[in-house]
Amino acid sequence: MRRLLPAAAVAAALALAVTGCGDGSGDAGPAPAGSAAPAEVSGTVTWWDTSDATTEGPAFQEIVKGFEAAYPNIKVNYVNVPFADARDKFKTAAQSGSGAPDVLRTDVGWVAEFASLGYLAPLDGTTAVDKPEELLPVPAASARFGGKTYGVPQVTDTLGLLYNKELLKKAGYDEPPATMADLKKVALDVKSKTGAGGIALNVDAYFLLPFIYGEGGDFVDVQNKKITISSPQSVAGVRIVEDLITSGAAVKPALQDSYTNAQTAFKDGKVAMIFNGPWSNADNLGGKVFKDNPDNFGVAPVPAGSAKAGSPLGGHDYTVYAGSKNLEASYLFVRYMASAESQAKIAGKLGLLPTRTPAYSAPEATANPKIAQWQKPMETAVERPWIPEAASLFQPLVEGYQKLAGGQTSTEPMLKDVATAYQGILKGWSL
Amino acid sequence: MTADVVVTRRAAPLSGARRLLSRHWYAWAMTAPVVVVTLVLVGYPLVRGIYLSLTDATEGNMGRTIGMNVIPSTYEFVGLGNYASILTSPEFLGRLTWTVVWTVVCVALHVGIGLGLALLLNRPMRLRSLYRILLVLPWAVPAFVSAFIWRYLLNGEFGVVNAMLRAAGFAGVAWLDDPFWAKVSVIACNVWLGVPFMMLALLGGLQAISRELYEAAEVDGASPWRRFRHITLPGLRPVSSTVVLLGTIWTFNQFPVIFLLTRGGPGGATEILVTYAYRQAFEGIRNYSGSAAWGMVILALLVVLATVYRRALRRQGEAW
Amino acid sequence: MVSRAARAGAWSRDRRTPGRSIALHLTLVAASVVSVFPVAWLVLTSLKPRAVIETASVAPVDHPTLANYTQVLGETRFLTWAANSVVVSLITAVLGVLLSATTGYAVSRFRFPGFRSVMWMLLVTQMFPVAILIVPIYNLMAGLGLINQFPSLVIAYLTSAVPFCAWMMKGYFDTVPVTIDEAGRVDGLTPFGTFWRLILPLSKPGLAVAAFYSFITAWAEVAYATAFMTGDDKYTLAVGLSQFVGQHKAEWGLLTAASVLIAVPAAAVFLLVQRHLVTGLTAGATKA
Repeated sequence: MRRLLPAAAVAAALALAVTGCGDGSGDAGPAPAGSAAPAEVSGTVTWWDTSDATTEGPAFQEIVKGFEAAYPNIKVNYVNVPFADARDKFKTAAQSGSGAPDVLRTDVGWVAEFASLGYLAPLDGTTAVDKPEELLPVPAASARFGGKTYGVPQVTDTLGLLYNKELLKKAGYDEPPATMADLKKVALDVKSKTGAGGIALNVDAYFLLPFIYGEGGDFVDVQNKKITISSPQSVAGVRIVEDLITSGAAVKPALQDSYTNAQTAFKDGKVAMIFNGPWSNADNLGGKVFKDNPDNFGVAPVPAGSAKAGSPLGGHDYTVYAGSKNLEASYLFVRYMASAESQAKIAGKLGLLPTRTPAYSAPEATANPKIAQWQKPMETAVERPWIPEAASLFQPLVEGYQKLAGGQTSTEPMLKDVATAYQGILKGWSL
Repeated sequence: MTADVVVTRRAAPLSGARRLLSRHWYAWAMTAPVVVVTLVLVGYPLVRGIYLSLTDATEGNMGRTIGMNVIPSTYEFVGLGNYASILTSPEFLGRLTWTVVWTVVCVALHVGIGLGLALLLNRPMRLRSLYRILLVLPWAVPAFVSAFIWRYLLNGEFGVVNAMLRAAGFAGVAWLDDPFWAKVSVIACNVWLGVPFMMLALLGGLQAISRELYEAAEVDGASPWRRFRHITLPGLRPVSSTVVLLGTIWTFNQFPVIFLLTRGGPGGATEILVTYAYRQAFEGIRNYSGSAAWGMVILALLVVLATVYRRALRRQGEAW
Repeated sequence: MVSRAARAGAWSRDRRTPGRSIALHLTLVAASVVSVFPVAWLVLTSLKPRAVIETASVAPVDHPTLANYTQVLGETRFLTWAANSVVVSLITAVLGVLLSATTGYAVSRFRFPGFRSVMWMLLVTQMFPVAILIVPIYNLMAGLGLINQFPSLVIAYLTSAVPFCAWMMKGYFDTVPVTIDEAGRVDGLTPFGTFWRLILPLSKPGLAVAAFYSFITAWAEVAYATAFMTGDDKYTLAVGLSQFVGQHKAEWGLLTAASVLIAVPAAAVFLLVQRHLVTGLTAGATKA
């Protein structure tokens, strides 16, 4: 699997910072290379933003204002659509040809599906795609489907191991565990020496992936059209989770509101470790044990399994609706919003990780310590299967994981059932 | 006294459309707006659904043109294939059983508790209208808000229900995480939501029962149970027959409670037919034919139920 | 729990022994607590600061604050959404009452060709699993050019509310003596005139239920509103509320405060009509 930010790329990013986007002032952004003169393009661009309306939305709206100032003939209609509704809402509108936005902030897992259904405009050769060589390769791959480019990455993320330094120290550890075996050991020591729990698990398929990747498994092998969720590697990965639960290294996970419960336990100091992404930074730092002592909060790459350390790539891409009546304006909008300058501003304000190397070293971005904090964990990011059916693959595994965590089944039969469900979803794929 | 005055006898065979029209145009005109809107808004999806359920149409193979993208129409007629695969799928029987259990338990508790409270509220006493307002409060709260409240109350770690149990010295219960307790929880939430409506409807029914009947029975020395059995229950039938039928239909298709409280979990334990069908239809690439077939199966089950129910009612002298 | 107390014949207060009276009130108090507690907890939670809500603390009152309310009202488009919800719900209620009353009257008074089909239609409409068939309905609205327009919501809500209300109104009209219709006819009124001038004024309780039911249906609906309203200036409260649930976390404080604000108007409408509700839902009880 490709790595997201190999050391060389990071070095290159630092070098580029000086030459690439040194000024970082809020000017009009890069001049587009397309045919139509940008000043002549007019129209209205409706953008569905799926970011958190209360905490993130305002920062994006500010970038939108910058765009409107730079392109006075284009009006932007900003609509915040809750993430949970966005996928269904967009698909319903897109298929009818009425009500869909011009530009959508699209989860990396949705791009292949939308593109395969004809909902997205191919962006190759349009003004939307600017300096593709700056893009980090793994997030960039999420925007491609069937040999064409359908999106421009906006932000990227992955899972890391978040830990409570004090609790680990009390248990006798100065460093977070680097391997899955250590994870269990540290968790059990925390439990016996501090009285707090070792690790809190979030019972969600996405959060199983670091364990599966660690042993060299995956949902599917796209190249060979093979379902690998019940392969020996995947089984070995999920066994680690089963063992964490049965051995007591993990606290008994909640199945409903699993994410919130795990977060609450971590923030209250009731458990020492958790897997989570950069989006949870602000949430964590507001917690009881971190509020007055932010240095107590540690971020590390996910522990490595016997094969490697790997965690799923997340994030969002800008995509353009194929039926848009304002394609030219939309392309310009995407170009501006996804530029290194815009990304650096977002990184600085919200701590969301940019997808362009120059943005990482822009002064606005480096001013936010979260960006540097997450650079190591991002190196473990693994490309997910960018196939149209990808979104369907989570539900069977969530149900299986819930049964496993509830003690109603064990790893192997559970994954066999999941594989059977996948055969129904992925017609013609082999086991 | 079912309105015999204006009731018209069936028109003679030869009497032609004009006569029918002149005789019935009032009734037709009064029902027309509802009939037209319903036919368009429900009839069109229904007919289209029947058609789609006989094909293999999905979001991917239905032809359309979106901007520069042209998707050819490649779906085919597959006969009853979708129905066969639904009815023979290993999931179907399990889901149907749980849906029936869910419906029967919920409706029984709605009616049982609703009737009990209605009987209590039907007596003159102090604070009666205050009780009535308090007891009906859950109905005034939108269902999605209620489901959200309950999820918060029942949270295993920081839910207040477990906190009270722990304070009283018991262990907390995995309300939403254990398959059995999750079923109990969704039923409890739905009962909480549905009792007020039943209670009010039955209270209305009770108030319409003539007091003279009770007085006469008391003079005859009939026991409270006999009076309940022979006056109250029959007197309630006109109301109860309708609300039980509607309650059953609504509960059978109660999407929000299940979906918002447990999302069908844990491990699919609380998934009823409607939420399961929704998942089948909308997860990933939308399966239009499959979801249509599911819709028809659910509709067919309910139509059968309503028909049987109506037959039973008619045998007891109810008519429409 | 009510078996002994459930003595339907006991309508006079003086005949009840003190013990029974206590049992009766205890039962009702217990039921009221169960009924009110979840809502009360919602209100209490909305008064807590965010940091407290997201911990394992379960004290009923903890650092009470109105911050959640000021944020919901001041920093979101809550008031726009509330106005949208009021408009949609009121139009739905008014049209719902009119449509269900005319239909209910027709099926109560006339036996016309198509009578049974209408009754079945009213029933089948409620059996329709809306969640699954939202796509064809959306396409229909798109064809009518109604996406992101309030009429699409009003029409959709009417199809859910009117069938029940018409059914219920039929039951209510059945209780209004037919002699009144006859008197109207003798005075030379058309069937419409009879309905409008004589029967409707007698049916206020039934109309109140129909209005309340239609209002609540529109006020509390989420699925159609989420799909049809594509601009956030057109969101209804139920859709707007979901903005407080992000991809990875929920703003419990804002959610609970907004929920309270959503529930209050519904409860207020309920208080206004609740006296009529009981009589209204009598729904055909005295039908011979």
